[in-house]
Amino acid sequence: MKFMKIAAAIGLAAAALATVSTTAFAQTVDEIIARGKLIVAVDTTTPPYGFLDADLKPTGFDIEVANKMGEALGVPVEFVTVTSPGRIPALLNKQVDVVISIFSITPARAIQIDYSIPYAGQSAVVIAPKSTEIKSAADLVGKKVGLTRGTGEDGLLTAAAEANPGIEILRFDDYSSLLQAMVSGQIDAMGGGDYGEIYLKKAQNGDDFEQKYTLKTFYFGIGVAKGNDNLRQWINTWLFVQKADGVLEALSMKYRNQPLPALPVF
Amino acid sequence: MQTALLFGPVFQHFDKLLIGLWQTIQLATISIVLGFIIGTLGAVGRSFGPRWVSWPIAAYVELIRNTPLLIQLYFVYFTLPLIGFKFTSNTAAIIALSIHLGAYITEIMRAGVESVSKGQIEAARSLGLSQWQIIRLVVLKQAARAVYPSLSAQFILQLMGTSIVGAIAAEELTAIANNLVMQTFRSFEIYILLAVIYFVVVQAASLLFALIGRVLFRWKV
Repeated sequence: MKFMKIAAAIGLAAAALATVSTTAFAQTVDEIIARGKLIVAVDTTTPPYGFLDADLKPTGFDIEVANKMGEALGVPVEFVTVTSPGRIPALLNKQVDVVISIFSITPARAIQIDYSIPYAGQSAVVIAPKSTEIKSAADLVGKKVGLTRGTGEDGLLTAAAEANPGIEILRFDDYSSLLQAMVSGQIDAMGGGDYGEIYLKKAQNGDDFEQKYTLKTFYFGIGVAKGNDNLRQWINTWLFVQKADGVLEALSMKYRNQPLPALPVF
Repeated sequence: MQTALLFGPVFQHFDKLLIGLWQTIQLATISIVLGFIIGTLGAVGRSFGPRWVSWPIAAYVELIRNTPLLIQLYFVYFTLPLIGFKFTSNTAAIIALSIHLGAYITEIMRAGVESVSKGQIEAARSLGLSQWQIIRLVVLKQAARAVYPSLSAQFILQLMGTSIVGAIAAEELTAIANNLVMQTFRSFEIYILLAVIYFVVVQAASLLFALIGRVLFRWKV
């Protein structure tokens, strides 16, 4: 009897949990509006896209995109902070509705999740002190090159290190650690976004750094769970209007201090 | 759930995880040995040393035990270079881990040291043992035995604590697993496998510490 009671209690608890998890996660635009909030995964360590302002509130390019998306849907936005390696699991675990976090569109990632059309783009570049002569990957041999684990630069520079033995790759978990490593001289060069200089310039020795060469231009999409076409289609439509109205361009000038590259669609 | 578990692509990279495991074991072993030495010296200094020795040790213990390990890692790796002390990621990790563990071991060993009755120390002194002999033969041996379970628990925590040193780009099991997640995007499979590896290693380490305890502390009380 006692066993039966316990089993029944566990069964009830499991049923309750199952109900909670299905209601918490919204599949469609209607469900998001019905629930009354949009849950967005962001990374607050990736200035100028996501960072904490002086009041420790999330701000940046991606954060404003998320807030504008919430406004368009008529619901407030709830932010869930993730690191770059945590972006795909956040969608797979159904913890968030969308990921807006400098999420470069790659075919490998698109096996696990779906992307909207690009809303922003930027070039990955190699940044190093002015005194260092670097023109290509061959010049990185014998140097310590830092990057953020799991970013586009990771793939590009890892490939460069395989092609040019002697490049030592150091992987950091977030962008602020990477910048700190560059400033404190723990690494000789770093892979990062084309806006990276703006932030390095804030450091005491910030003027010593410059862009060396471009690795590749990346396009950022808004990530949704695999097969969530209802939400993805709405996001694409909304992004089309944002681009046409010049909203994204204004955000780029505000946060990146340079215009967006041409954004192709798919 | 729509994603099926696929361990095949993960097992292809199993050799990389084993290299990471070996680095984790090295980090843990070296920092445990160094931390134990620091902690034992700290406990002796705090219990038997003059004030100018025991007070700085107390400050060290409080400072380390009231700040997160991650901040200590950042301090050694990012801040010390600004004043001229530059270490590689792995050296910085070992330094921070050892200093961190040393503070905890100081407190644990001090509890052991204080469990040895004053009468024994007086008896040893009247038998003509030197201060060093008293500390080594009478106090430390019994102290280590008395707190051995706490010591091994702290060592196990240290073994698991190595999993955060990837934050300063040091290479170990968790950092390598994170790299594999980015390469294969098989996060569920890799983290499940990672948990299994840690579980097996921690169980093995517990067993090892229990065996060492049996061999070292065979005498009857």
